[in-house]
Amino acid sequence: MAQSRLEKIGTIFTRVSGLLRSGAMKPEDKPLWYEVYAAFPPKLEPRFDRPAPQIPIRNIFYEEDQVRAKFHKSQKQTEMVSLFDRQRKTQTQQFIQIYQGLKSQGALDEEKIFETSLDLLQEQRAQMKLDAQQISTTDSDEGSTQSLSEAFSEAKDSSDSKATATSATTSPSPTKGDSKSKIGGINIENLFKD
Amino acid sequence: MLMNCLKNGRLALLRQIRTQSTAAATATTVNAANEPEEISVIEQRILEHPDYFQVHNLFTVRDLFNARVHYGHKEGSLDDRMRPYIYGSRLGHLIFDLDKTAAHLRDALNFTAHIAFRDGIICFFNRNALNAHLVEKKAMEAGEFSHTRFWRGGIFTNSNVQFGAVTRLPDLCIFLNTQNNVLSQHTAVRDCAKMAIPTVGIVDTNCNPNLITYPVPGNDDSPASVELYCELFKSAILRGKQKRREVLGEPEPVNNTKNSSRRRNKVSN
Repeated sequence: MAQSRLEKIGTIFTRVSGLLRSGAMKPEDKPLWYEVYAAFPPKLEPRFDRPAPQIPIRNIFYEEDQVRAKFHKSQKQTEMVSLFDRQRKTQTQQFIQIYQGLKSQGALDEEKIFETSLDLLQEQRAQMKLDAQQISTTDSDEGSTQSLSEAFSEAKDSSDSKATATSATTSPSPTKGDSKSKIGGINIENLFKD
Repeated sequence: MLMNCLKNGRLALLRQIRTQSTAAATATTVNAANEPEEISVIEQRILEHPDYFQVHNLFTVRDLFNARVHYGHKEGSLDDRMRPYIYGSRLGHLIFDLDKTAAHLRDALNFTAHIAFRDGIICFFNRNALNAHLVEKKAMEAGEFSHTRFWRGGIFTNSNVQFGAVTRLPDLCIFLNTQNNVLSQHTAVRDCAKMAIPTVGIVDTNCNPNLITYPVPGNDDSPASVELYCELFKSAILRGKQKRREVLGEPEPVNNTKNSSRRRNKVSN
């Protein structure tokens, strides 16, 4: 079969075209892709010796990068971030939002804005922590009362058939299971929220 | 070449069957003259359509972004030939221009769908061990082939000796990663160019796009991006095959494994 293996000369299309034109390759042996390539040629010729263009790489910077850098320098970052969570904003994002909100009001100078937004951020974080704790404590309270009432009803039922002594031993076990998420009075879920 | 002849033989057979079924309605001589051109006429006609298989609606730029396609390597490993596809450098990390990536990817998908329509053999390549199984699985689902292991030299260039028979090479090679490791390019890229096989390749910032016929600038390391590419190429191939079946009036395959086994038999012939 007629073929040119010189991959450094021209492109696959020009080499096959040459073979077809000279009659070395018969039209019925034309490769299957030939017409598709002719109809949809690539944006740039796939030549081995295509020179590299001289395009400078620009840096990507945003306006808020300055204040972000300042914020990161001012305090140690102790936050744990889940990269899969797209809804929750990180501490830095919250800070920049507060900062830009204050700046758009335009009353203070940069230094003042920075300090006040730090304070506001701290307040916001404290409030969020409080909310999260409240939610978790109400959850766990409801859970324990439910399980307690269940345990009592169970105990009542079982007292009909069994001795009261055995039911008394079974009742504390569900409450124990419920407090599994709390170890030593600390809710584990809360730890990961902030 | 042998496979080319075989394929033509199979088509001729199909045409015969079709002429026989329609022989009652029209004169046989007229049919015999008209019918053999049919599939090639259709193939020519669909080439005039800019996007016959509607591959543009397979993905959006947002999908690319969510699959982390825009992440390149660090600035130090940049190949100068990749400069036109880069949006900029964010603190030392290169970021791809996803608008350019999308345009290149649509070209590549369109080409792939056309090759699948013409019943070409498509082979997926990948040398990243993390994604190897994923690529093999998706290639199988598309009813096509894959090569994700060490490339023994001469599989393409010396195939007739290596396999002990006349071998039909693939009609399109899709590289989900064009590097063997961080230093050297996959030998199959060069071999494809030697054997006049068009290539589609995902080129990261440290790759050389010159020998790839349809380069797609993008991240070739993240499993999320590789999965997106595999899914896109698979659906483009399936669209091409679906259209072919519609045109030829072939029945739908029962499942993909059956389809691929049909292809395997064809190759071993």
